[in-house]
Amino acid sequence: MFVLVVGGGKVGYYLAKELIESSHEVVLMEKDRARADQIADEIGSIVVAHDGCEGKYLGEAGCARADIVAAVTGDDEDNLVICQMAKHHFDVPRTIARVNNPKNEELFRHLGVDEIISPTRMILGSIEQDIPVHELLHLAALGEGELEIIEAHLQDGSPAIGRTAGELTMPEGCSLFAVVRDGIAKPLLPDMALRVGDKVIAIGPNECSSRLHEQLIGAVDLEATPTG
Amino acid sequence: MSENQHPVFNRAVIALAGNASDTRIVHLVAELARPIRAEIVAVHVVEVAWSQPLDADIAGRSEQVQQILDEAEATAEQSKVRLDPVLLQAREVGAALVDEAIERAADLLVLSLPYRKRFGGDFAIGRTIPYVLKNAPCAVWVVREPITEESS
Repeated sequence: MFVLVVGGGKVGYYLAKELIESSHEVVLMEKDRARADQIADEIGSIVVAHDGCEGKYLGEAGCARADIVAAVTGDDEDNLVICQMAKHHFDVPRTIARVNNPKNEELFRHLGVDEIISPTRMILGSIEQDIPVHELLHLAALGEGELEIIEAHLQDGSPAIGRTAGELTMPEGCSLFAVVRDGIAKPLLPDMALRVGDKVIAIGPNECSSRLHEQLIGAVDLEATPTG
Repeated sequence: MSENQHPVFNRAVIALAGNASDTRIVHLVAELARPIRAEIVAVHVVEVAWSQPLDADIAGRSEQVQQILDEAEATAEQSKVRLDPVLLQAREVGAALVDEAIERAADLLVLSLPYRKRFGGDFAIGRTIPYVLKNAPCAVWVVREPITEESS
């Protein structure tokens, strides 16, 4: 597989290195000449020392025959431009973008980037998993990001306690499919009554989060919502 | 050469650039190789742009490339030395030469350097020679062309 990696920071460097070790053909674009030379010294002559935001240089780097373009620079704007050009000008089958600001995720999806990797979101998810909070945890995005796997940790006061899955009114397109009880994952059957401490795993579209919150955690306490 | 003296080299890789310098360095190395019965490998590297796959049929179809290798063989023959011609396709000439020298266990790599100046008057050494000087594990000889009126 031929992979074009744009951005020679830590992410791009290790990505290219791993791909080469897995016997893929790789080109790495890095606009900073000194950094490009440094990478070439370390992993070989696979570096094109030009700006990947310019179509001409993307073409020279072989974008038109790339199977995947991964834009992993530190600038969301650059990553978006690179993926857009790769997708629409060079017909690259799969584009992957690093998104640093989670607020840009929706825009990237809307503009047709095939896959979005948000380190910020991942770290946030990991922190949320380690802290017992009453909120819903967003575990992973599915497909092109329109669906999410969500975990709800049921506490005292949850409207779902003592009710079966079948008795809950789920938002449209959203379903509960598993429960983690005493550390053991089980399929959530319609007649299974939920208990305090259960972790209910749901899948659904992004926009059903607040309805799901009402059903499993309780109404959002606006006074407790941080404002700063 | 006395018995306890080591030959200057046992196997030399010559980089053919496809210009007039090729004859000069092939002749030079062949004359040095003959008395010590050293082997010579002459390598011409065709650089393949990233926009094409590395195995694209570029060099094989080119008569010019074949001529470069034929002329090197003929020059070596004049010195009564056999030369092994090699044609490579690579992304970068320098890296390909270093790899070939390692692959062939060469103890000498010879390159020519035309005398050229950049716009502004600075002497231009290009990218291949610094790469080879930095990375080749064997000895490296760089044969710079004489300065002519046109080149200066």
